[in-house]
Amino acid sequence: MSSIKMNSCNSNNGESKNGTSNSLSSVNHDLGLYFLELARLGSAKAPTEMEEDEEEAPKELNTINSSGGFLFVATDKLSVKYTSVNLHGHDVGVVQANKPAPVKRLLYYFEIYVKDAGAKGQIAIGFTQESFKMRRQPGWEANSFGYHGDDGFLYRGHGKGEAFGPTYTTGDTVGGGINYASQEFFFTKNGTIVGTVCMVKEIKGPLFPTVAVHSLNEEVHVNFGQKKFAFDLKEYEAQERLKHQMTIEKISLPPNISYGLVRSYLLHYGYEDTLNSFDLASKSTVPPIYIAKENGFDEQDIVYALNQRKTLRQLIRNGEIDAAISKLRDWYPQIVQEEKSATCFLLHCQKFIELVRVGALEEAVKYGRMELAKFVELDGFNDLVQDCGALLAYERPQESSVGYLLEESQRDVVADTVNAMILSTNPNMKDLQGCLHSYLEKLLRQLTACCLERRSANGDQGEAFHLHRVLNSVTGLVVLSSIWSRAPPWIQFYQLYSEDSYHLLSFDCWKEILFRGTSDSGMLLKN
Amino acid sequence: MPPFWIVIRQLVEIEEQMATSKKVITREEWEKRLNDVKIRKEDMNKLVMNFLVTEGYVEAAEKFRMESGTEPDIDLATITDRMAVKKAVQCGNVEDAIEKVNDLNPEILDTNPQLFFHLQQQRLIELIRNGKVEEALEFAQEELAPRGEENQSFLEELERTVALLAFEDVSNCPVGELMDISQRLKTASEVNAAILTSQSHEKDPKLPSLLKMLIWAQNQLDEKATYPRINDLSNATLEDPTV
Repeated sequence: MSSIKMNSCNSNNGESKNGTSNSLSSVNHDLGLYFLELARLGSAKAPTEMEEDEEEAPKELNTINSSGGFLFVATDKLSVKYTSVNLHGHDVGVVQANKPAPVKRLLYYFEIYVKDAGAKGQIAIGFTQESFKMRRQPGWEANSFGYHGDDGFLYRGHGKGEAFGPTYTTGDTVGGGINYASQEFFFTKNGTIVGTVCMVKEIKGPLFPTVAVHSLNEEVHVNFGQKKFAFDLKEYEAQERLKHQMTIEKISLPPNISYGLVRSYLLHYGYEDTLNSFDLASKSTVPPIYIAKENGFDEQDIVYALNQRKTLRQLIRNGEIDAAISKLRDWYPQIVQEEKSATCFLLHCQKFIELVRVGALEEAVKYGRMELAKFVELDGFNDLVQDCGALLAYERPQESSVGYLLEESQRDVVADTVNAMILSTNPNMKDLQGCLHSYLEKLLRQLTACCLERRSANGDQGEAFHLHRVLNSVTGLVVLSSIWSRAPPWIQFYQLYSEDSYHLLSFDCWKEILFRGTSDSGMLLKN
Repeated sequence: MPPFWIVIRQLVEIEEQMATSKKVITREEWEKRLNDVKIRKEDMNKLVMNFLVTEGYVEAAEKFRMESGTEPDIDLATITDRMAVKKAVQCGNVEDAIEKVNDLNPEILDTNPQLFFHLQQQRLIELIRNGKVEEALEFAQEELAPRGEENQSFLEELERTVALLAFEDVSNCPVGELMDISQRLKTASEVNAAILTSQSHEKDPKLPSLLKMLIWAQNQLDEKATYPRINDLSNATLEDPTV
């Protein structure tokens, strides 16, 4: 039996001794806390899952760390010219990008255009490490790769190259890329792939896009993606994804597994009507689907209190919080008896939010003073109390930065909390995690964690898995930015300059209302 | 060499050694990571809705929209039509199914000669099943043979199907599998996929792909680390890592 560990504020609770404690109050308290974080997920201050993958991509050439004297980097930091007469192999004009190639993605790619092949056309494109010796061609030194224009050879790690692709010269566009999924470098000439080469395992650490010129008047322009590439990177990426998808599609699954997981999901969250339709339909499919026994789905625990869970969800989703609380008092008094529990708190917050929604501001203030004030300055609760309070400060709260509170999803969090609490009252519930997460969610968490772990074992290279991205690849971003652009400019101002000062401001307003009893909340709007 | 560099070198060596041996992740560590994962309820709802819609559970999708507030990614009315076609094939009413597909969008069959052939083949199978030998022969000669001339694989399929006529007990003959219910289901799901594609919707639900991806990701990670796996997808139980 596992006990649930929360990275929460609740210090006196900790792990239950010998893991068999069934003291409802402590267990319930813990469970409800899990949802506090979810309740703030919609807030602008909550961490978003997208953030971590943002890496700065190279934008220009590094003018400080380049072999000065032999080459000249133009002021746009994107074109390079060899301005002297080369005498030997150690006066190569090499220049790296200002940043290493980003790794937390499927592909990285950049291009050069050969403006002038100069006296000898000894141009190279490739990747090198930060410590790379300037004045050497990329590929000549250990841990560097380069595709050279004068012989079309690929050099990797030493001065002897190998036949690879065509030569390139004035007027050609040549590209170099890294495919993190297949662990390969690839090079292109005038929009077509010339060849790929395996990345060597020993290469650790950041790789810098690198170009080299080595004879009089050789001149290249670098394109880090500011201009359209000659190579259709999007198409290549789509193909690579398709290839990957094909490998995965070959894996076989136990029969009706998706069906069973969807069914247990509906059971878990108490979507009873959906479940009934689903069951009815699957009886009439050809052939009918029988799952419970053959796949070992254990539904005993989640059929528990299905109808009551459905009723409570409906009430909360309709904003009828009082009715929900009173039903809970009748059916599961143990869930609402602890006044300072997270569940009670979330129900009170939602009641407050519903009052704001219908414009009953004065009543909201009264309710807040009565039910929410006691949570102020309580770790874990404080943030949500502040956000609720901030609702009062706006004429159109749904357009404000705390507008997320008025969204449907917020009601859903409360309904999910109540649902989990009821599941936890089931004496047969063996695993408390089972109250929080459906099987489907557990699998998705496992998938995400595996992908992340695998990436970190690969030196952070490649894409992570985000369910949200899989489901909303483009539309998600569009929606986000449109919400943001609707926010009043002064909120954006506060967000830009000091997120904290903005929150302090609204918190002060809130305190004012709670403790000094300013009954006219309109006054605050004018300030 | 200054002592500082010696220490650095030792550290690098240790790091290299660690990289070659498999990492062990305890259950406790792994559970912490699982807890750090953020999965949105809305996204799971979308995933479930996508399953209901793609698999054609139209009433359940409607109910789920009401109970969870999740909007389906396709007009629910089109599911009903699609399911009617699918059902017609599953019940052996192929003519009916072809008519319904053409009502829905005549381009579907025009642009899918293979699908059209498979539907006609299914129609032939149903005629044979019903003992309408003469009608079956006539249909094969008039409708199917011309298509067989266009395409070698169609011709082979046609020959295989017509062979059914040569046996008295068709269910026990070498090509008896054509008479099986699974043949209907195969044709039905082919039509289903074609209709979905014509509605610019993915023809398969996302959930099975994600489950396959989970199996793949776990197998991949096995090469790098020992960690708690989920072996039984149906109850999502985390198994203790075997060291």
